[in-house]
Amino acid sequence: MSERIYIFKGFERFWHWAQAGLILFMLVTGFEVHGSYKLFGFENAVDYHTIAAWTLVGLWCFAIFWHFTTGEWRQYIPTFDKVTDMIKFYAIGIFTQAPHPYHVNPQRKHNPLQRLAYLGILAVAGPVIWVTGWFYLFYDKWNEWGWDAFLSLEWVAFFHTLAAFVFLLFVIAHVYLTTTGHTPLAHIKAMITGWEKVD
Amino acid sequence: MWKVLGGVVLGLLLCVGLAYSMMSRLMFTETQSPFGMEETVARIQHNIQKTGNGWELSGLRNPAKAVQKDGGNVLPVMMIEACSTKYSKPILKEDTVRFLSILMPCKVSVYKKDDGKIYIGTMNAGLMGKMFGPLVGDVMSQVAEDQKKFLLFDPSTPAPPMILPAAAGPATGGGGGGGGC
Amino acid sequence: MRNPFLGALLALTLVLAPPAGASTDAEAASAARATAKSTADHAAFKVLQQPFKSGPEVTRACLTCHTEAAKQVHKSKHWTWEFLNPETQQRLGKKHVINNFCTAVPSNYEFCTACHVGYGWKDEKFDFTSQENVDCLVCHDTTGTYRKVPGLAGHPPYKDMEFPPKSGRIAKAPDLGKVARAVGKSSRDTCGACHFLGGGGDAVKHGDLDTSLKKPGKYLDVHMAKDGLNFTCGTCHMTSGHDVPGSRYGVTVAKSDAARMHMRGRAEGNPATCESCHGDKPHKARQADRLNSHATKLACQTCHIPEFARAQPTKMKWDWSTAGKMDEKGKPFKLKDSSGHESYDSRKGDFSYESNVIPTYVWFNGEVQYTLRETKLDPSKVVEINRFEGSPDDGKSKVWPIKRFVGKQPYDIGNNQLVVFHTYGQDDSALWSNFNWDKAIEYGMREIGAEYSGKFAFVSTEMSWPITHMVAPKADALACRQCHAAPGRLDNVPGLYIPGRHGNALMDLAGWSLAGLTLLGVLGHGAGRIFASRKAKAREGEGK
Repeated sequence: MSERIYIFKGFERFWHWAQAGLILFMLVTGFEVHGSYKLFGFENAVDYHTIAAWTLVGLWCFAIFWHFTTGEWRQYIPTFDKVTDMIKFYAIGIFTQAPHPYHVNPQRKHNPLQRLAYLGILAVAGPVIWVTGWFYLFYDKWNEWGWDAFLSLEWVAFFHTLAAFVFLLFVIAHVYLTTTGHTPLAHIKAMITGWEKVD
Repeated sequence: MWKVLGGVVLGLLLCVGLAYSMMSRLMFTETQSPFGMEETVARIQHNIQKTGNGWELSGLRNPAKAVQKDGGNVLPVMMIEACSTKYSKPILKEDTVRFLSILMPCKVSVYKKDDGKIYIGTMNAGLMGKMFGPLVGDVMSQVAEDQKKFLLFDPSTPAPPMILPAAAGPATGGGGGGGGC
Repeated sequence: MRNPFLGALLALTLVLAPPAGASTDAEAASAARATAKSTADHAAFKVLQQPFKSGPEVTRACLTCHTEAAKQVHKSKHWTWEFLNPETQQRLGKKHVINNFCTAVPSNYEFCTACHVGYGWKDEKFDFTSQENVDCLVCHDTTGTYRKVPGLAGHPPYKDMEFPPKSGRIAKAPDLGKVARAVGKSSRDTCGACHFLGGGGDAVKHGDLDTSLKKPGKYLDVHMAKDGLNFTCGTCHMTSGHDVPGSRYGVTVAKSDAARMHMRGRAEGNPATCESCHGDKPHKARQADRLNSHATKLACQTCHIPEFARAQPTKMKWDWSTAGKMDEKGKPFKLKDSSGHESYDSRKGDFSYESNVIPTYVWFNGEVQYTLRETKLDPSKVVEINRFEGSPDDGKSKVWPIKRFVGKQPYDIGNNQLVVFHTYGQDDSALWSNFNWDKAIEYGMREIGAEYSGKFAFVSTEMSWPITHMVAPKADALACRQCHAAPGRLDNVPGLYIPGRHGNALMDLAGWSLAGLTLLGVLGHGAGRIFASRKAKAREGEGK
């Protein structure tokens, strides 16, 4: 017996996909600026990366506002409850058609592993990439503002790239894990329509 | 089933992509010259004259000069043009492949890149020829053999003078002297 | 070749025969004067209506009106060939420096002083207080007919002479009266008569100054372009009172020089800088802020003169150690390279030329340390004739493009010092007459009163020249990727992190490996799931 529940609200879905697009685009342009390959051309990649960064800043202003006004931020409060069950499920159960150990509902839409992963991204990798990104954006002003004294572009770039790699790993794992629903496309459909089938 | 098909299609696409990305490298070759700009040009010119098989210099172009006239700069580039009627005649005689005259005369390009080094660019005549049937393939494979001799340098000999086209001044824009084809 | 005069004069490839259309040049010059809104027509002055027989006679006439001119010239480097660097206290200038081109002036005055703004400097007894020995015409000629010939101690030829000797070319004696009556402002031609030919020939020394700048196209020099802004040298080297600002001996480099690098109209500072017209935030278009911030670390020249010697090749190497070889007939000889430039000369050794040279880039704070004749050198290393000081973190250096000129030249192995040698002269000690290094060095060292051990060898030297002329149109400035990529233009400049060039290799390796492993992991996991679900389905099928 299954029922459909409304999990992802309109803004949330818009936020997710806009952010997904921007992050992918910033990975592509960012690693070009880093020198990993040639695609758009260096100056174009720099321009695009900068524009995408400011767009993402705008999106986040709305998202933060939304999370706090709706109380949705609680979705990211970490819990270790059932974490081992989740790991066991991905390691073994998923191959033996075992039932999913976690049941979503609109109040607890992320499983414990998701909570931890998202919190890590939002609270650790995110701030690192944001802060270093801003240092990068305002590199022109370091001299004027006297930041030259304690900042080095090499280290700013190092941590920015490090965080970018974390995002890249996250994206790969995240995209794959979306296929672990009832059917491979179930979670993705839910993120598009907002409705998820639950047992 | 669709996954298998998908895999096959994906594999095909990958192959095509790979071939596409390698095509330019197969059609043309680039080698670094051990000499300076003018010396490289001069040595190739003299090699061409020594090759025999009817090879003659038919021009020396300097496309960079045209850019300068237009108020811009590019790093030096010179195109040595050579021709041999021994090879051009059979192709020019045959209506079905006469359009290949656009590949004539045979060119060797000498240019400087941003690393300050001098490079030699040539067309892979052998491979190019194979695409146009046995007649052209045969002629072009001989051209390819001769082309290799153009680029055999003997550093123990002193630098020969560059051969400038009779009409034009020192490698001025466009004008390649007559002769050859 | 036994004639020292002949041998020596062949050295310079100075083009001395006046242009065929000399009279039309004079007409053009007088037309130019008419449009220059000058309040004086020198042709109308009584004192200039005479058949001058020598340069000093002309100068005496000039001084009757321009009473202070000679005294002003006396203070300039053009006259003294001397410069005391206030920071390093080194005594520099042509009179003192030994470079790695023709090396040194002392003992070769008659020859070298063809480029002195004076008459008669043939030995060290020259009277530097003489006013009539100032050469006004060499800078103020507008006819293009006034030329000085090496070997005449700064005088122009007073009667037609063959130059270079036995070349069949005639250096015409200028009509001094005509030249004097047509004087005007200095021009690219007059400055270029010496500065384009430095080092013994066209384009030899600087790489960014040669005769192609007489009538340059826009591609070569966006400021001097004959069909563009048409600047003269003086447009930037704004001279007043015969004091020409903007010298290699006191380079204005970076932001710490802000006071010296003034805006036009202010009294102090050096007007011959990019900033004096363009300011320190010159970029207006796309990514202006980012480009302007580049200008805090990079000299304008670094991007805007992407290559030098873009019209004709410049000399890059001069190896004196091979001089003196003779052909099978026992005569000195010359060889040419593929482009027709000299590659060997028995009197001078081996050369190499290059065009469109990609500059060497160095941190430079304006301070230059010279290896002077007195300086002790280490012959096991390449001797830096001049060293450009600077570092990424002294707060006052910028990355500058330079021409690095290398060579080999004689030094005193007893004293580990560079030597002065006698190249040219009407005696049997000059190198270019007798090809005898021992005699040439002994003579040169005796001439300057320096101690010489009597033994010499050749040492490798290099000299740096700032590249600052031949600014390209803005579309030809270096593009981002020319530095922001590997390999890039600034690979050998320390202390720079350039995005796109060198990330942390270890992190890149770890990052991409982890990404690859993650991808493999999820693919494997997915394949496992597909496999498991098939098996499960099969079992279900059997079950049914």
